[in-house]
Amino acid sequence: MSDAALFGWSSTAEYCTYLDENDKKVGAFLSRTGADEFQSALERSRSEASDRSPLRGMPFAVKDNIAVKGLPLSCGSKMLETLSSPYSATAVEKLQQAGAVVVGKTNLDEFGMGSSCDNSALGTTHNPWDVARVAGGSSGGSAAAVAAGMVPFALGSDTGGSIRQPAAFCGTYGLKPSYGVVSRFGLVAYASSLETIGIISLDAQLLRTVFDIMRGQDPKDQSSRPFSPQASEKRQGEKPRIGVITDIEGLAPAMESAYRERLDLIRKKGYEIVEIELPMLEYVVPAYYTIASAEASANLARYAGIRYGHRTDWADEHSELTEKSRDEGFGDEVKLRILLGTYVLRSGFKDQYYLRAQKIRTLLRNEILSAFQKVDQILSPVFPTAAFPHGDAGLDQFQQKLADKFTATANLAAIPALAFPAGQSEGLPFGLQLLGPEFSEHKLIDTASEFTELWEPKTAPGFREWR
Amino acid sequence: MYDTFIGLEIHIQLLTKTKVFCGCSNNYGDEPNTNVCPVCLGYPGTLPVLNTDALFMAYQVVGALKCKRAEAAIFERKNYFYPDMPKNYQISQFADPVGINGEVIFPFQGEEHRVRIHDVHLEEDAGKMIHAGDMSLLDYNRAGTPLLEIVTEPDLRSGEETEAFLRYFRTLVRTIGVSRGNMEEGNLRCDANISINTHGAGLGTKVELKNINSSRFVRLALEYEKERQIGIVEAGGSVDQETRLWNENKDITVVMRRKEESKDYRYFPEPDLPPYRPGEDFFRRVEESLPELPLDRQKRMEAAFSLTDEQASYLCEEKARADYFEAAVAAGSEAQHLYFWMSGDLAALVNKSGTPLEESRLSPEKLATVLRLLDNGAIHGPIAKKMVALLFEEEHDPEGLIAERGWKALDDTSKILPIVKKAVDANPSAAEQLKQGETKVLGFFMGQVMKETGGRADPETAKALITSYVKGEIV
Repeated sequence: MSDAALFGWSSTAEYCTYLDENDKKVGAFLSRTGADEFQSALERSRSEASDRSPLRGMPFAVKDNIAVKGLPLSCGSKMLETLSSPYSATAVEKLQQAGAVVVGKTNLDEFGMGSSCDNSALGTTHNPWDVARVAGGSSGGSAAAVAAGMVPFALGSDTGGSIRQPAAFCGTYGLKPSYGVVSRFGLVAYASSLETIGIISLDAQLLRTVFDIMRGQDPKDQSSRPFSPQASEKRQGEKPRIGVITDIEGLAPAMESAYRERLDLIRKKGYEIVEIELPMLEYVVPAYYTIASAEASANLARYAGIRYGHRTDWADEHSELTEKSRDEGFGDEVKLRILLGTYVLRSGFKDQYYLRAQKIRTLLRNEILSAFQKVDQILSPVFPTAAFPHGDAGLDQFQQKLADKFTATANLAAIPALAFPAGQSEGLPFGLQLLGPEFSEHKLIDTASEFTELWEPKTAPGFREWR
Repeated sequence: MYDTFIGLEIHIQLLTKTKVFCGCSNNYGDEPNTNVCPVCLGYPGTLPVLNTDALFMAYQVVGALKCKRAEAAIFERKNYFYPDMPKNYQISQFADPVGINGEVIFPFQGEEHRVRIHDVHLEEDAGKMIHAGDMSLLDYNRAGTPLLEIVTEPDLRSGEETEAFLRYFRTLVRTIGVSRGNMEEGNLRCDANISINTHGAGLGTKVELKNINSSRFVRLALEYEKERQIGIVEAGGSVDQETRLWNENKDITVVMRRKEESKDYRYFPEPDLPPYRPGEDFFRRVEESLPELPLDRQKRMEAAFSLTDEQASYLCEEKARADYFEAAVAAGSEAQHLYFWMSGDLAALVNKSGTPLEESRLSPEKLATVLRLLDNGAIHGPIAKKMVALLFEEEHDPEGLIAERGWKALDDTSKILPIVKKAVDANPSAAEQLKQGETKVLGFFMGQVMKETGGRADPETAKALITSYVKGEIV
C-alpha cells in the first residue's frame, strides 16, 4: 500500500515534516519514533493488521508514563530520563495489533502529578490555541498533540482528571473509562486505585473505536474487569435524563456563564435536566489527595537509583545512594506528594487521614450511585477556569489542586467520565464533562456527540483535518 | 523457679514452579539474575499477578495447622527500604492473613506437646545481597519467590523442645509437599522470641534472636539466651528488649540492635491485587490434597505394625519413607525385619548414593521379595545385602538374579568342608589361635570361606565346620 493511505497525507515524509514543524511551536512530544522505524512500523501494520481495522496505519501518540517497548518511559522526570522500556503496555499492544502505529511519547507533569504540564522536568508544552498558555495536565502533551492535529488520537492517563482537564483546555474529547476496564499493565503507577489509561481525540467515533479495542480484562492486571455495559442500558433509545450539579461555586465568571448558556441550549433541545446535590463533593479534593499521595509514596519508592533510572555519582552507603538519587531525580511536586503520603500512612495518623479518606470515598461512591437511580448521566464543568498562562501569571499549585473537585470525583467513584468540547469562551476552548454509571462509556460518547452538534466547536490554529 | 517463653516466626519457601506474582522460575541455585523479569524487578508500570499454586500451598499449610482460614486472600503493602527489595515495599498480608488460630501437636520426649499458631501469611521474598570486598552485588533470582510465614504463640519452653518442634514442623511441611523445609539450604528460616520470668508471673521482656540457620543452633542459642537472661535477673538486673544474633563460632548470642527501633511499615491495602476469593471448589481440592499428618501416622503405624515410638518416628520423618514401608508391608514383608533393613542397609545406600529411596530402582515389592527369599533360606544374609545393593542401582528381577549369578544358598556340608579345610590349612597360626579360644579369628576364617563361596555359604554351617575342623573333630 502506498504512503498516500496515511489518512490524507501524500507521504510519510510530509507527515513527519508537519509533525516536526508543528511540535516546535507546541512541544507536545518528549520523544519521537525515528522516521525509519515509523515507516517500517507502518509497513508492518499494513501487512499484518486486518484491512477491516479502522486503525490500520493510523499514527497515535502515547503519554510518556505508558510503556512502549524500546521507547523512553521518562514520566516527565529526570529520574527516568534514561529509561527505555523493556516491554509494552497491554493497551498499546492491543492498538498495535489493530494496526495503529506509535509516533512518539508525549509530555506530562512529572509522574502524572499536576494540572498544567509545567511540572514536567523534561520539556515545555504549550496550548495550541495560545502558546502563552498551558496545555493542562497531566496528559497535556497528548491533548496538545491531538488539538494541534499532529495525531488523530493519543493515550493519556487519568488519576484525578489528568485526561479530562487538558482535553478541556485544548478543546478535545477526553475519556476516563470505568476503573479496571482498560488494563493498567504498563501504566507507570502513581495512584493505583484511582488511575486508568484513557483516550484523547477530536473525533467521538474514533474515541469509541479506540476504547473498544483497548478495553477488556487482562491477565496481567488483576484489577482489570470485563466490560459489561448491560447495567447501564436500561433506557435504550430515549434521551438520557441529565443531572446537573447545582454547587458550581468557584467557577471563573466566563466559565460560569458559558456553562449556563450550554445548559439552556441542552434544555431547549428537549433534554430533561434534573438538578442534583452531591454534598460529598466538598470532601473530594482532600480525600483524593490523601489516597493518591499515600499510594504514590509506595509506588515511587522503587526509584532508588539501583536498578534503573537516575543514580547519583557517588554514595558511601545504601541510604545515601537512595537519598541523593531521589533528591536529584525528583521534582518538588513529587517530593511533596511522597512526603504527604508517608505522613498520612504513619502509625498514629492513619485513622485520622488515610482511613478517613477511604470512608469518604465509599460515601461519595454511594452518593453518586444513588444519584444514578434518578438520572442517567451527570453533567458538570471540567475545571473552574480555561487554560491559564504559564508561570506566575497562572494558577498557583494549591489553587490548581482545589480545582480538581469536578474531575477527581469520577476517579474516587471508579466511574467513567468524558470531557467534550463545548465551544469557546473568550477565544479559548471550553469543555464540559459527563459522568455515568460504570460501563456507560458508549452512552456518554453518544450524548456528548449529540451535545456538540448543538454548538460549533472550532479547532486550534494550524490544525489539519484527518481523513 | 523461672518460666521460659519461646515463640517462633518461621519462613518457608514454597515449592511452586514459578514466583508468587510473576511467571519467573522459582528454581534455587540458578545463575544470578537469570530468573528475573520486569515484574519481579519492580519495573515502572508492571503489576503483580497472584500465583494460585502458591495460594493453594498456603491453604494446605493453613489446613494442616488447623487454622481458621480466610475466605479471601487479601494483600497489603509493607513499606520499608531495602536494596534487594525491588519495589521497596513487600507485598504481604497483615490484617487478614490466610490463616489464624491454629495448633501443632508434636512429639517430645515421649509426650505430645502443643504449640498454638498465631497466624499464617503469604508474602514475597526479597533478593540476595552478596558483599564482595568494597562492592555489593545483588541477585534478584529470589526476589518475588513465595514465602509463607508462620507465627507461633510463645508456647515453647526450652531450646530442646523448640528443636524438636522445628524438626516436626519440617517433617510436616515436607509431608504436605509444600517446602523442602531445610534450614541449612535456607528454605526454612526462623527467628525466635524468648523471654523468662519468675514462675507464674507471665511473659518477661522478650529478646529476638535472628538468623539462626540450623535446628541445632536454635537449641544452642535459646539455651544460651535463657541462661543469660536468668543470670541477669539473678544478679538483680533487668533484661533489655533487643535483637540478638547467634554467633556460631563462639556459641554465644550478641547484640544486633540495642533498642528496638519502632518500625513503621505503613501497611495499606495493595491496590494492584483485589481480594482473591478461591471458592468452594478450591478449598475442597485443598482438603482432599492433605495427607495424614506425621504424628497421626506415627501413632497409627506403631499400633498397626507393633513398632516402637522411635521406629515409627524414624519412618514417619519422611513421608516417602513411611509410604515405602507401608507398601513393602503390603507386599508381604514382616514389619520388624523390614524396619531393620530400611534403617540399616537401605539408609546406608541412600546416604552413600545420595539417591532418595523412592527414586532408586529398588521398589518396595522387590525389597519384599528379597526379604522373602532370605526368610525361606533361598539366599543367605551376605547375598541379600549384595542383592539389595545391586537392585538399588540397576533394574533386575531378584529371583532371576539368583540363577543368573549363582547366588543360591550353599548349605551342603560336603561342598563347604573342602573350602573350610583349605582356609584353615593355609593359615596354621590363626588356626592355633582359634583352637586356644581366640574367637575373633573365627571371623577371619568366615571371611575366607565367604570370599571363596561368593557369600553363598550358610553362615551357621560354615561356623560349625570351621570350629570342628580346627579342634580336630573332623578330618
